[in-house]
Amino acid sequence: MKKISIALFVLLFGFLSCAKDDPEDPVTDPDPVQPVSPVVFHIDSVPYTTLSHYNFFSGNLADMQPVTGVIPYAPINALFSDYAHKSRFVWMPSGVKASYLADNVSLDFPNGTVLIKNFYYDHVQPQNARRIMETRLLIRKYGQWVFADYVWNDAQTEATMDLNGSYVPLEWLDDNNVLRSVTYRIPAEAECNTCHINNSVPIPIGPKPQNINSPYIYPEGSKNQLAKWVEVGYLNSGYPANIETVAKWDDPSQSLNDRVRGYVDINCSHCHADDRYCSYRSMRFAWGETLDPAHLGVCVAPDVPLLPQHSHIVKPGNTEKSLLYYRINSGVDGIRMPLLGRTLIHEEGRQLIEDWINSLTQICN
Amino acid sequence: MKTTYTLIVTAALCASIAHAQNSCSSAVLVTAGTTYTIDAINGPEIPIPICATTGVGATHTEWYKYVPAYDYSLTISTDLPQNAGGDTRFNVYQGNCGGLSCVGGADDQGSNTLASTTVQVSGGLTYRIAFDDRWSNAGFDFTLTEGPPVVTAFNFVQQAIPGGISSDCVVDMNNDGLDDIVSGSTNMVRILRQQAGGSFLESDISIPTAANSPSWSICAGDLNGDGHTDLMYGGGGGTSLILSANGGTSFTQISPAQYIFCQRTNMVDINNDGNLDAYSCHDVDANVSFMNDGAGNFVFGQGGLGTTCGNYGSIWVDYDNDHDMDMFVAKCGCDPHDLLMRNNGDGTFTDVSPALGLSDTHQSWSSAWGDFDNDGDLDMLIGSSSSNVHKLMRNDGGTFTNVTIGSGYDTFGGQSIEWTTHDFNNDGHLDILGGGALMLGNGDMTFATAAVSAPYSGPVGDLNNDGFLDIISGNTIYLNTGNTNKYLTVDLTGTVSNRDGIGARIEVTSDMGTQIREIRSGDAFSTMSSLMAHFGLGTDTHIASVTVYWPSGIVDVIDEPAINSRLNIVEGTFTAIPASATKGFSVFPSPAEDVLNVRADVDLNNGATTVMNVTGQRVMTTHLRNDQLDISSLKSGVYLIRIELAGRVLNSRFVKR
Repeated sequence: MKKISIALFVLLFGFLSCAKDDPEDPVTDPDPVQPVSPVVFHIDSVPYTTLSHYNFFSGNLADMQPVTGVIPYAPINALFSDYAHKSRFVWMPSGVKASYLADNVSLDFPNGTVLIKNFYYDHVQPQNARRIMETRLLIRKYGQWVFADYVWNDAQTEATMDLNGSYVPLEWLDDNNVLRSVTYRIPAEAECNTCHINNSVPIPIGPKPQNINSPYIYPEGSKNQLAKWVEVGYLNSGYPANIETVAKWDDPSQSLNDRVRGYVDINCSHCHADDRYCSYRSMRFAWGETLDPAHLGVCVAPDVPLLPQHSHIVKPGNTEKSLLYYRINSGVDGIRMPLLGRTLIHEEGRQLIEDWINSLTQICN
Repeated sequence: MKTTYTLIVTAALCASIAHAQNSCSSAVLVTAGTTYTIDAINGPEIPIPICATTGVGATHTEWYKYVPAYDYSLTISTDLPQNAGGDTRFNVYQGNCGGLSCVGGADDQGSNTLASTTVQVSGGLTYRIAFDDRWSNAGFDFTLTEGPPVVTAFNFVQQAIPGGISSDCVVDMNNDGLDDIVSGSTNMVRILRQQAGGSFLESDISIPTAANSPSWSICAGDLNGDGHTDLMYGGGGGTSLILSANGGTSFTQISPAQYIFCQRTNMVDINNDGNLDAYSCHDVDANVSFMNDGAGNFVFGQGGLGTTCGNYGSIWVDYDNDHDMDMFVAKCGCDPHDLLMRNNGDGTFTDVSPALGLSDTHQSWSSAWGDFDNDGDLDMLIGSSSSNVHKLMRNDGGTFTNVTIGSGYDTFGGQSIEWTTHDFNNDGHLDILGGGALMLGNGDMTFATAAVSAPYSGPVGDLNNDGFLDIISGNTIYLNTGNTNKYLTVDLTGTVSNRDGIGARIEVTSDMGTQIREIRSGDAFSTMSSLMAHFGLGTDTHIASVTVYWPSGIVDVIDEPAINSRLNIVEGTFTAIPASATKGFSVFPSPAEDVLNVRADVDLNNGATTVMNVTGQRVMTTHLRNDQLDISSLKSGVYLIRIELAGRVLNSRFVKR
């Protein structure tokens, strides 16, 4: 009964919305009526206790097959999270859509938007099977983002809301068939509030136009993600054609410097920016700010060296004297950066930073 | 022919000079006032030990020697305009080749990768300077400059911690009066026990796996009251309490489930029930405490001790001289408004930082609290960790005046996350370690950089039992060479109060006046320094008295203890609470209902007032107003009342109905 009533409500609302809009701008906003999404979502009742309650996925929950209206997406660059794989989806209620604000700012999402992110590993031992660890939701509710985290059970049949934080020891075969282990951290709410926050207001990090302005292979074929969102009615079409788009950090066809800029943008700039967790240090790692080498720490003396030899945040040609490299190359709490979201060293990221530092020739004064 | 001959001789001479400085034994004699040029660092003999703090890795060295005619402050420098862009390092030694000991060393100075240092040298001795290729083998120029020697000089000599162990914790683990070196991890506590002869005995004690490591801070004290020292780890995801068992030979652990982004941790008796509690600053949420019920339970609490995020460096101090512990938090990040939480004496705390002008917004990770001007109250330096704004505040009897301008900190360029204060040269004036320098106090709220090779930061204690404070940095002990100044070390053993006397105020009176110290578990940002109180006494030869104000309210007074000694004081042994009232001081009515009136032959307004029950347990602390005391919250019974003002201590007793 519940689902039917929501479907009726959505149909009614959608109809009213079209009836109102059509006479005003029938040509530029054709907005074909979308198939009705079976997602269960009462704004006053979310977040629900269980993930299955939302009906985001059809069939076996762990297969993560999205229902109509739940659209998969992937950012160009993603935060390194101890080699966890991630799958992301967006859902919005019928009749509302997001708007473009700026290249480097997350889209202005309407109330009711849900950003869904699953964290999982493949070839988890001893079963050598996929294990989904958690599904994090960001829900736009009454003009604010609300955090919810669903922790998956061992049977992989259900995920239950838990914002207290926990650890899960894990062994898995990585993509190179190497056995790895980690004590996986499922965050507490206060940890969410460390990175996903701007001036004390919760925010998403990934879905900014410059980080999703890229093709995605949908069941229907490849399409630019922003164009797809317009097509399904999730985004107003009024956004610039020439979005300043980040370089993919692991794309060898890009310049080393741009790859590093892309890497630190997604791994570091959520804290090292104005009004963020670590705004008081001088680094500014966002894509739009790193054309200035000083914002990357090149030839900048650290406020606080961790070892006596750390003469600079980045000392050209010398990783041993570069505090940034020391932090990237550590998994130790209190030394590593980023300080949340990982305990393992990201070998590929570390190699990128090493190559970049060794390529720099600037003489520091 | 003659010309050719000369050229050949010159060439031979040059060749011999070029190779002369390639080993310690063939070091070339250099003097002050000349600029010397090194073409390249290619001598094969690398020095042992390395004195610069940046570790091993050199493969070649150029050697020089220097013999001063008199005592000097000698400055050795490659920080010359012609060397711009270079990256140099050097070590300075005394002693014979094969038995070299470090006098100093230099590497980078912040972003400047050239090197310069000043060392104290003695006339007639031979010193060796070894420039190595740790970072570059390129040539450069260097100079030596002689200046007047620093009087009553002291310095630090480096000594590796046995076993190459790194430590952030110096504390007496086994209650023998000697500070030990402690290193804690999730599965082991390593203790280097200081022996009477100055050596260390290592004992590695495996512990049940703790969920958290001391990655952000560590503190120590006797949480479980068994007479042996326990540890508290401040980790990025929570805290672990490492509790001694079996007479200190093993440990158990408690890792509460709560997520805490720990910063500074402290042990302190927050509710003054005689049991040490565990406290942690929380980076991204309200601060937390674990209240110790004395039966092995540590009950989580959050709120009332700083409720916003950005809590970095807590320090528990008695800023208003009412003998209970208030808390200051140096704050950073999302809410940088520093906090001063006044202990109301009833288990509640009030933020008085806005009223006292301490709620500023500059980014700081820790503060140093001590009586820098020896006037009987705790002054403080909020040291900067970025943007270089230091704030030196003089305590004027419970209010604060900004005295930064002219103090030496207005022009001080260093910054750091660790700030701590101790008297390192035993001159009776507190010094401040922080910002990459040791600033020597002049006793008048001014400070000047010491010409010593102190580390950036680290735990402080007396690691060779010589009465001078040593510092640990990583795996190196910086042993204080001392001077002729006198000292007193006070080691407390609580009975009614917590065993370590954490929270106690100690006053030492000698010819130079009265100095005060507090016993603290956890100061600076991350490290744990000795739980013993250390007093430098300058040239004084005699101590008039030592007074201990215990957290319980008990006061012990020891007259004329021996100078240059360690004084152990067991709570209540030298108690100064008299059975009868002080002459000229009375309270009435007795029995009293809600209000107790005070009468004295002096003005007692604002006097620090303490009420204790008959067992010596403190039940109230406040300042006297209008010669009246509100005692409505007390249970019926017999009480002792003590009022302190202007050096006088007045005692009486009353009955509450």
